Amino acid sequence: MRARVSEPWVEAPLQRFADESRVTFALLLQPSGQVLGQFGFTRAMDVMAACSLAAAINVTAAQLGRELEGTPFRELHHAGRERELFIAEAPTERGPLVLLAAFGGESSLGIVRLYFRELCTALASAARTSVPAPAETGRVDLGENLERDLNRSLAILFGRARPDSEGMLSVPPSFPPA
Amino acid sequence: MPLVNYATREITCKIVYYGPGRSGKTTNLHYIYEQVPSARRGKMVSLATQTDRTLFFDFLPLDLGSISGFATRFQLYTVPGQVYYQATRRLVLQGADGVVFVADSQARQLEENIESMQDLHANLAEHGMDVRATPLVIQYNKQDLPRELILGADVLDEALNFRDVPAFTADALHGHGVFETLRGISEQVLRRLSGGAPGGARQRSRDTVGSV
Repeated sequence: MRARVSEPWVEAPLQRFADESRVTFALLLQPSGQVLGQFGFTRAMDVMAACSLAAAINVTAAQLGRELEGTPFRELHHAGRERELFIAEAPTERGPLVLLAAFGGESSLGIVRLYFRELCTALASAARTSVPAPAETGRVDLGENLERDLNRSLAILFGRARPDSEGMLSVPPSFPPA
Repeated sequence: MPLVNYATREITCKIVYYGPGRSGKTTNLHYIYEQVPSARRGKMVSLATQTDRTLFFDFLPLDLGSISGFATRFQLYTVPGQVYYQATRRLVLQGADGVVFVADSQARQLEENIESMQDLHANLAEHGMDVRATPLVIQYNKQDLPRELILGADVLDEALNFRDVPAFTADALHGHGVFETLRGISEQVLRRLSGGAPGGARQRSRDTVGSV
């Protein structure tokens, strides 16, 4: 199975981590909850929900650590009956990233932690050496049709327009409201 | 900035619904969740108390479809409105690409609205975000309540909308203005990503008031 990424520099480190540690799912995200790469998920919507929760767990655990011990908790492990979770923060020059990994009997906490250390090293190196993706350096030209496309997409999403037989979209004349 | 994947032509944006307690932030997300086909949205995640007050956040992922050739996804978040969850609001606001400020139109809630708007500005500044450059729209919710209990959009504008951002009147419980608000913030966020100014001219969807 291949890892899917939104920024190319995280692909090789994440793929190697997933292959070597034999996790079932892995997510690499920004602390704000934006996904950078995923392994094992089949539905984008599930990825986003998992990211939002992982980001919340990471940030609350860090704060709990500060309250209890004066330093943030950087790694969390939950041992479920059939599946275990591991959440940890990986520092890079482009800011910290959060890893969420789920694993079953084919792996173990020790193996996951071992390859997480390798992942941290690989990400730190890739962050230093790789060229930033265009999105990190510039803007996206969404063209002159942005407003038209947005209106149509939202109208369909809310059931206010339907694609016709030729695949074109029919938007009521009253949409959007004046 | 929104996350853009050029290889797969995907855009992912984080939108945060902000505002005082019980102003209708979660109600906005519930309405969107109910209206959108299940194939175009994920599960709605609510980290709430037993009495359904938002404890950490609500979260709803949305698939907008193709915008200018980019598959566009929105992550909608709410924050807990109560004053004592200030730290949580700041955390959820991290990395936001756009903010919907949901104001409670009731006259007795005016002070809470103003405090929440000030709290939003302070938290954006805390994250190093330029308040003037952050895409923002305001929703004046609960406009369906009896006239003697609520303030008109002009009065609320005067008190809250000093940035002259797009504002929408709404009755989120019944869905009026919810769609227009989402459309407003979507356009702001995508225009900013595309290099345009996020603010734009002030606009108000008055017809939603008329239909309540």
